[in-house]
Amino acid sequence: MGTVTDRREAHGGARAMSRRRLLRLGVLAATAPPVVLRARRATAQIGGAQPTPAPAPAGELKNPAEFRGPKIKASGPTTLSFWQYVGFHVEVQKFIAEEYKRRHDPNLSLEITAYPGLNEQRVGVKSALAAQSPTPDIIAIEPGAYAVDVSTSGSVLDFTKVFADDPEYKRGFWPNALDLLTINGAVVSVPAVTNTVIVYYNRSVFRQHGLEVPNTLDDLKKIGATLNAKGIIPIAYPAGQDRNFPIFPYYTYVGGIKADRLLREADLGLKPWTSPELVAGAEFVEMMAKSGLYAKGPLGIKEPDAIQIFATGRSAMFWGGQWMRRSIRAALPPGFDLGLFPFPAVAPGGHKPVLSSVGITLTVNARSKQPDLAFEMIKAITGAWGKIEYTKNLGLSPNGPISADAIAYQMQSLKDPLYPEFLKLQPTGTTRVIFTPVVEEAMTQGMQALITGQKTAKTVMESVEAASQKVGTRKFRTG
Amino acid sequence: MLPATVRYRWRRQAAGYAFTGPALLILAAFLLYPIGYSVWLSLHEWDGYTPRWGPFVGLENYRALVADEVFWRAALNSIVFVIVRTPLEVGLGFLLALLLNRRLAARSLLRTLFFVPVVMSLIVVTIIFQRVYEPNTGLLNTVLHAVGLGAWAHPWLGDPATALPAVIAVSVWKNVGFSLVILLAGLQGLPQDVMEAARVDGANAWQLTRRVITPLMRPILALTALLSIIGGLKVFDLVFIMTRGGPTYSTEVLATMLYREAFELNHMGVASAVAVILVAVVLSIARIQALVLRESREIEAA
Repeated sequence: MGTVTDRREAHGGARAMSRRRLLRLGVLAATAPPVVLRARRATAQIGGAQPTPAPAPAGELKNPAEFRGPKIKASGPTTLSFWQYVGFHVEVQKFIAEEYKRRHDPNLSLEITAYPGLNEQRVGVKSALAAQSPTPDIIAIEPGAYAVDVSTSGSVLDFTKVFADDPEYKRGFWPNALDLLTINGAVVSVPAVTNTVIVYYNRSVFRQHGLEVPNTLDDLKKIGATLNAKGIIPIAYPAGQDRNFPIFPYYTYVGGIKADRLLREADLGLKPWTSPELVAGAEFVEMMAKSGLYAKGPLGIKEPDAIQIFATGRSAMFWGGQWMRRSIRAALPPGFDLGLFPFPAVAPGGHKPVLSSVGITLTVNARSKQPDLAFEMIKAITGAWGKIEYTKNLGLSPNGPISADAIAYQMQSLKDPLYPEFLKLQPTGTTRVIFTPVVEEAMTQGMQALITGQKTAKTVMESVEAASQKVGTRKFRTG
Repeated sequence: MLPATVRYRWRRQAAGYAFTGPALLILAAFLLYPIGYSVWLSLHEWDGYTPRWGPFVGLENYRALVADEVFWRAALNSIVFVIVRTPLEVGLGFLLALLLNRRLAARSLLRTLFFVPVVMSLIVVTIIFQRVYEPNTGLLNTVLHAVGLGAWAHPWLGDPATALPAVIAVSVWKNVGFSLVILLAGLQGLPQDVMEAARVDGANAWQLTRRVITPLMRPILALTALLSIIGGLKVFDLVFIMTRGGPTYSTEVLATMLYREAFELNHMGVASAVAVILVAVVLSIARIQALVLRESREIEAA
């Protein structure tokens, strides 16, 4: 964990907050003055501090939040269609929708279509939107390029009016998360969860070899050398998983030197990608690839491979996302002592960069025949009661502040000591999103070239800058 | 009033059109219209989200492709894919067909075994081979280490130099059974009197294969090769699942480029231009295939 000063700086410095104030934000978010929200909007981090869970009393706890009823109900039997891309979220989404039906609107049902992956869902959504189809009513989208695409094409509705009608609902989200989903002044979608990218580690292996959790990059390199000498792979890193993974080390470095806002400006074509800080990010990627820290051939390793390497004890660490927690747990043998830590500080005295983003986010098709009902359903899933159930089920971080009682309620069934750890790391998060598709593609290819040693950091960033310039002035602005 | 012969001919033709009409309609709706629409889209700029396509840009998308080094890389990879895959697939298929055409004890079992990959789900095959190629715990590197060839262990899919050959190898493994079945059927249909005459003339197995069987099999070999070429040019799923065209476009083929341009970069016009080029190439090869088939029929008739 970073120091208080680190965290203060990580939040942009415009209105630095103490730990106490951050904690208060978690508990008192509902009464937080607007000025605090505006100050946080200047930051690039996603998330905020949660309170320490209250000691669990005996007996079964209940969700402490109120499941508020809708302002509008279906006049007759109505089914909303919802297309998403994360299979393991279906169960909890269904549960909330059924509770909503049972408690508030017996006429309203939710039909969930879970595509096998983001690519497949995006193709399906694109076809539906181009055909002006009213189906699906609710669409799951990713922050970044996907949000820009659906927003600038006028395919989805804006949440601004929903928030104006229900300010309390808006206060339930981390402001910086909504910022990430605000395109040309319109709030394109709302997050169901937030999540982080951290380093999972095998505590037993660390103990066995007298290793401590690294605080700096040098510490990590020393650990790598020790493990390599013992024939243990230091880090399983699934860079071959998708086109975002090869960029993770880059985001990590840029976040670690607090240049994530510079990255965003470069992404929007306002600053060059060849600035020294951004080139240094590419040099970091190159250095990491040559450091011997990764399992061999990271671009040929996908998530299941990396999990297997880690779960079988071949590697001591696994660099991955909070969303993989379930897959990792499922693969681990009994007695595996799993821990996690934020990536160590990449610069002397710097903070520990935790990549952070909103997870699946929900929006309403502009051609939906029941847009108001769709908004109400989204409010049920992402609102005060829904978010506690949602994250309790998945062990992912909530989309906004929840109370200490709520965390205690979640822990009663989650029983996962890592969950509070993730919550602690959320406020230190730094961006892992690029909005301009062509730039993202150039970054993916560039990082692959660095990992395979085909190009130098400078040439890679020059090619990213060339791609960025080719796009020209962006037709969108964010935040 | 039309003459009786004209009425008769018209009635005969009307019946023909009535029978083929539904099929032609389906063909027009699901093949000709999409192809025509793709050609039309390739002359426009469109992001794929808005209901109407964007401005007419003429041949600009094609010009952009010509200037795009990724397109040439993808085209080259597609050609390499075909050039390497086809001889291996057809050659191995032919060798196996020759083997299985002999009286072997386990002929049926072997034939089934070689055909199993063809009927296996491609997703399953790719997932299996991803694990086989995994650099640290994968089967291939493990075996190499076990037999003392650890120096050859390699990040097969993670290295641009070996990624494409690794994917082609999977493609060959998956499809060789298909070539085998076609070629085996061809071998079993060869005129036995010719073979017998060659044997009586003292031809040994090698001479029989080289001088008699291969020339007789040429039309079927050509057909198998053409099917393999078309399959190779259209390859998408295997590459997309295994490598997504990476690393650094080393396995990017025209079909994966088409997908990326259309659905990741929202350049539907450029993607359509790639599709048009791909269709043109495949249709040209299909035309060659038709000519080869005609030639084979003429040979048979002779």
